[in-house]
Amino acid sequence: MMRMSRNGMSLLFAIAYTFGVSGSAYSAQPESQVRQADVSTIFFFVVFAVLTLLISFWTARHATSSSEYLTAGSSISSGQNGLAIAGDYMSAGAFLGLSGAIYASGLDGMFLAASYLASWPIVLFLVAEPLRRLGKYSFADVLTHKLKERPVRILAGSSTLVIVSFYLVAQMVGAGELISLLFGIGYAPAVIMVGMLMIVFSTLGGMRAATWVQIIKAVLMIGGSCIIAVLVLVRFGFSMSDLFKTAVSNHPIGDRIMDIRGFAQDGVATLSIGVGVLFGTAGLPHILMRFFTVSDERAARLSVFYATCLICLFFVMLFFIGYGSIALLRGDAAYASASGVLFGGNNLAPIHLARAVGGSILAGFISAVAFATILAVVSGLLIAGASSAANDLVVGLSGRQLTERTRLQISRISSVALGVLGILLGLACEGQNVAYLLALATAIAASANFPLLILAIYWDGLTTRGAVIGGTFGLISSVVLTAMGPTIWSKVLGLGPAIFPYDSPALFTLPLTLLVCWLVSITKAEPEGDWRLTGPSVARYVE
Amino acid sequence: MHRTDEVHPSRVTANRPDTLRVRLMLAMILSYLAMMAFVLYCARHPVPAAIASMTFSPAMIALASCMALSVILTGLFVFMRHGD
Repeated sequence: MMRMSRNGMSLLFAIAYTFGVSGSAYSAQPESQVRQADVSTIFFFVVFAVLTLLISFWTARHATSSSEYLTAGSSISSGQNGLAIAGDYMSAGAFLGLSGAIYASGLDGMFLAASYLASWPIVLFLVAEPLRRLGKYSFADVLTHKLKERPVRILAGSSTLVIVSFYLVAQMVGAGELISLLFGIGYAPAVIMVGMLMIVFSTLGGMRAATWVQIIKAVLMIGGSCIIAVLVLVRFGFSMSDLFKTAVSNHPIGDRIMDIRGFAQDGVATLSIGVGVLFGTAGLPHILMRFFTVSDERAARLSVFYATCLICLFFVMLFFIGYGSIALLRGDAAYASASGVLFGGNNLAPIHLARAVGGSILAGFISAVAFATILAVVSGLLIAGASSAANDLVVGLSGRQLTERTRLQISRISSVALGVLGILLGLACEGQNVAYLLALATAIAASANFPLLILAIYWDGLTTRGAVIGGTFGLISSVVLTAMGPTIWSKVLGLGPAIFPYDSPALFTLPLTLLVCWLVSITKAEPEGDWRLTGPSVARYVE
Repeated sequence: MHRTDEVHPSRVTANRPDTLRVRLMLAMILSYLAMMAFVLYCARHPVPAAIASMTFSPAMIALASCMALSVILTGLFVFMRHGD
């Protein structure tokens, strides 16, 4: 049953890294071999930390209502939102993980990049406009336009908080390891520092602060990637042929780095990963939240287009960075061991490459951008979690609507609570490989959130009973099947051969969830009656 | 802006995905699956010598095409809906 090989395992981690970051799987080198932070790294780090705090204090005066706090008052422009969405996707995991994956095994990393990019048209065609039209704070708003509020909000809130928690723990562990590597400080101080900044930043500034940090980070990330890519090409006289020839001659697997290797071993596993990525993006709460920050559907459409262009540009730069790393770093004793593994782990390929082509200043800048990336992503996660806790879970469990003031208070308290939880779990999971949590989160997004959202938007026949039973089935089946897959069952838990042969269950759980929703919905019609809670959350805003 | 707090009396009718939306979505999914099938084929079969001498491998070209198509379809949809 163990059909996923070691390559498959590393590919799962690469997927996980792309949505978040976890240093555990790749940072295999002893700390003594890792460079300590130099002056430029610390300088850029301090600049970013001060800048993010200034932004949070500046935006705090706006965040006086729940609408302003959770969705920036829907006043973000399409261009700004496009940059912020791109920023959400250009995580430290994508930057470090995908270039590290290309450094390790060639084109496999780019297959994931192409899959992530292909998920954006799906988001645009299916969910972006309806979300903006029907939603206000969370994707559950869209569901409750035709379904009973209480059960649906409890379900949506639960799945959102599960996804956010998984992401948060993985981010905190990754942040601790990455920052301790980049800046030469201990794991615990790194986790606490990131956590405290994240809490201050999210609690004070809310979505507007998170959006501005994402915008600044996206610009710096794209700019930094372009600079590294151009400097790599300069080294090879802008000859792609020379770049590839050097990379092929440096890599132990030779010209196979020009092809997909790991994904080619099992077509069904690859298809399942593809389905998960393709449809999972449209179910990720912190991505969906972005559509509530713009004013109308047109702005939602445009922001997806801008984001797609920027993400595509970023992935193209990663291509050059990945192959440039193979060509310039492999075999260089200053950056890699004799076996070819980079000091600090292959995930540090862009940092080492920046140092190789641009010196310590560029390396310091890129390190600080990686830090800003982590901070921006975890802040967005806290806002998404806080929004769902206040808007879905509390409303669903209490059975009554909240006043504006209470909603804002609950959002801020939830933000702090989630942040503290993230720090504690991050500290508790030191040294643990938690990349599988991100794979789990993606599987839940594709198997539970996406089918509900699509059926609620496009099918009149969906009933509350169908949505709740189907959504619960998607949530549980995706968690159970992922847990029974090769990574968690065999590698993490060490329970022997995996019961379920694939790491991503989306190929099976997504259609099954749709089927369960449909079957349950057609067997019993929605009872008539006053099924909606009254109060501000169902209010429509009109000119 | 003022707020209306009325309770909606009936279920909201589902959206009907228009033809353009469905066609573009199918185009994206099919092209992604085609790309996936092609790169798997390339990985399992030897590349002809004439193609192997190219700077970019066939798998690279397939990935790049899929990425470009993602951007093009997104742009096309936004352009077609510009007047909404």
